[in-house]
Amino acid sequence: MGSSMMSAATESATDRPAETAPEIIRVEGLDLGYGGHALLRNMDFSVYAGEIVTVLGGSGCGKSTLLKALVGLLPPIKGRVIVGGEDITDQDPETLMRARRKMGVLFQSGALLGSLTLAENVALPLKEFTGLSREFIDAIVQLKLHLVHLEDYGHYMPAELSGGMRKRAGLARAMALDPEILFFDEPTAGLDPITAAEMDQLILQLNATLGTTMVVVTHELTSIFTISHRSIMLDRERQGIVAIGDPRALRLESSDTLVQAFFKRQAFPLDPSRRSDAR
Amino acid sequence: MDPATLETSVAANGDLILIPAVPLNQQMVQHLWQEIRQILAQSNPPQLVLDFRNIQTIDSAGLALLQALNEYCRTNGIDVRYQDIAPKVERFLTFLNSAKGVAAGGEHLVRENWVSRLGIAVSAGLKDAREQISFSGSVAVAMVRVFTHAKPFRWRETWYYIQLCGADAMPIVSLISFLMGLIMAFQAAVQLRQFGGNIFVADLLALAFTRELGPFLTAVILAGRSGSAFAAEIGTMKVNEEVDALTVMGFDITEFLVMPKIYAMALAGPLLTCLSNWMGLMGGLVVGVIGLDLTASSFLQEAYEILDLSDVLTGLLKSFGFSIVVGAIGCLRGLQTEQGADSVGRQTTSAVVSGIFLIIFVDAIFTVIFHVFDW
Repeated sequence: MGSSMMSAATESATDRPAETAPEIIRVEGLDLGYGGHALLRNMDFSVYAGEIVTVLGGSGCGKSTLLKALVGLLPPIKGRVIVGGEDITDQDPETLMRARRKMGVLFQSGALLGSLTLAENVALPLKEFTGLSREFIDAIVQLKLHLVHLEDYGHYMPAELSGGMRKRAGLARAMALDPEILFFDEPTAGLDPITAAEMDQLILQLNATLGTTMVVVTHELTSIFTISHRSIMLDRERQGIVAIGDPRALRLESSDTLVQAFFKRQAFPLDPSRRSDAR
Repeated sequence: MDPATLETSVAANGDLILIPAVPLNQQMVQHLWQEIRQILAQSNPPQLVLDFRNIQTIDSAGLALLQALNEYCRTNGIDVRYQDIAPKVERFLTFLNSAKGVAAGGEHLVRENWVSRLGIAVSAGLKDAREQISFSGSVAVAMVRVFTHAKPFRWRETWYYIQLCGADAMPIVSLISFLMGLIMAFQAAVQLRQFGGNIFVADLLALAFTRELGPFLTAVILAGRSGSAFAAEIGTMKVNEEVDALTVMGFDITEFLVMPKIYAMALAGPLLTCLSNWMGLMGGLVVGVIGLDLTASSFLQEAYEILDLSDVLTGLLKSFGFSIVVGAIGCLRGLQTEQGADSVGRQTTSAVVSGIFLIIFVDAIFTVIFHVFDW
């Protein structure tokens, strides 16, 4: 990616948006699961405008499940989800449509449509949801592809690209409609360290310049410490949130052994008596 | 000009000043651009000043408008200047304008002419023919290995596919054959009744089904049902890199993935053909008894007397050949799947279409052979 981005290699999340920033996402008393069986229970949290919030935890703790609920793909078992001022709990089609117009989602593998070129993938939401002319759509597509440094690959098919390039193309498509909120599902998974760092820097730049609120599901510690204003940590055994806050502060101050083990990348004690979270 | 959208004024030095009164966003830019173009076409000033005093929000569509405006002015020799830009808007423009030299238009694919396309199609066809021949060879080698006990016969997998291709296909084969027998008997009865030849409906159906219709109908059903399933199964395995994983572990893909399916089809196909023949006769029998004043015993007796062992065996031999071909092409198309879900769909469709074509091709070969040997 460009030199302007490489020069900011050590840049990390700026000061958290003011406490007075409006609530963009609110979750109240949320239970989530599949087939009526709850994986996560009683979750309450808010995300404020302009924040970058990382959702983290061990494998299988429900990070992607929570993400699906926030983007309206999974109805909750109990509780409420309000995104961009729209209560999407009941999955009302019109409410969901209004909420989804305010959001963009980068799925883990990019989720590009295999039968369309990269440019066509990015243009798809613009053609579907705006009345813009072909000229303007093409200009916006080129702009978005340039932001993710794929401006020369617009005519390529997704199958012809590497995993990292597909992710970047997926991000370009997620940004096509200039959404207020961007959701990321493991954006740096499977990327080499340099490309992962570039993805982190892109996330920071988009947040700083466009003020886009971001919710990032990840378990990459480097990314967490680079991009987060706040983190929400989930645990499978405790079936819910075990910590919320600045990850740097959590790492230093939390007395929870699970939180400590996660941030210090240590094996978690299997003996329940050695864990501070023992019930 | 709509003053609610755009205000204009002319400076003392002749500069045209445009003051948009609406946000530069997705909802407004198209209408605003039309207004601006109309004004510029009428006035053609030496310099254009775009005043941002009313602009507090701008998005990518707004930037696209500015780029289009710059390009228009550059083409028409008009200088462009911006003024009164709010800091937030300026930051946005600076960030997005790191996309310097972005063309207002996507890349256009170069279209090949018809000669190139013909060449590409012929080349692809030859490549496919080579792959089919190579695949046939690997299947033949795998069969020899089983018969010489160099490789074990995978009974469990084969039984699984016999259940899938054979037992599970019985209802659909029965229904279609019964209905086809019914239809043929009706059509034949209309003509034969005129000559008092009602009973010959039994002869017609018996010969048509055992020699041709039974094997053909069964093979087409298998192509649509099982051939496509094989292509989808193996194709998805290819997309998920499971085939690569098996190869790296040392498995022979033809022997492990393909042969159980082909053996299953080779066994199930002729058995289903026998069922098809019987159900076709039953369909005709219903018409004969209800509409042609025949008795069930006379109908079946007539069918029995007209049939030769060679009629039945040639039909079963055809069915055997068709089933192997359908199973093999389904597996081949699966192995030819490239990355992506749409490739799985394409190869699944191709498995059915190629299977039907090959059924007819093989049928033609058998017809010639049987004619030569007078079978």
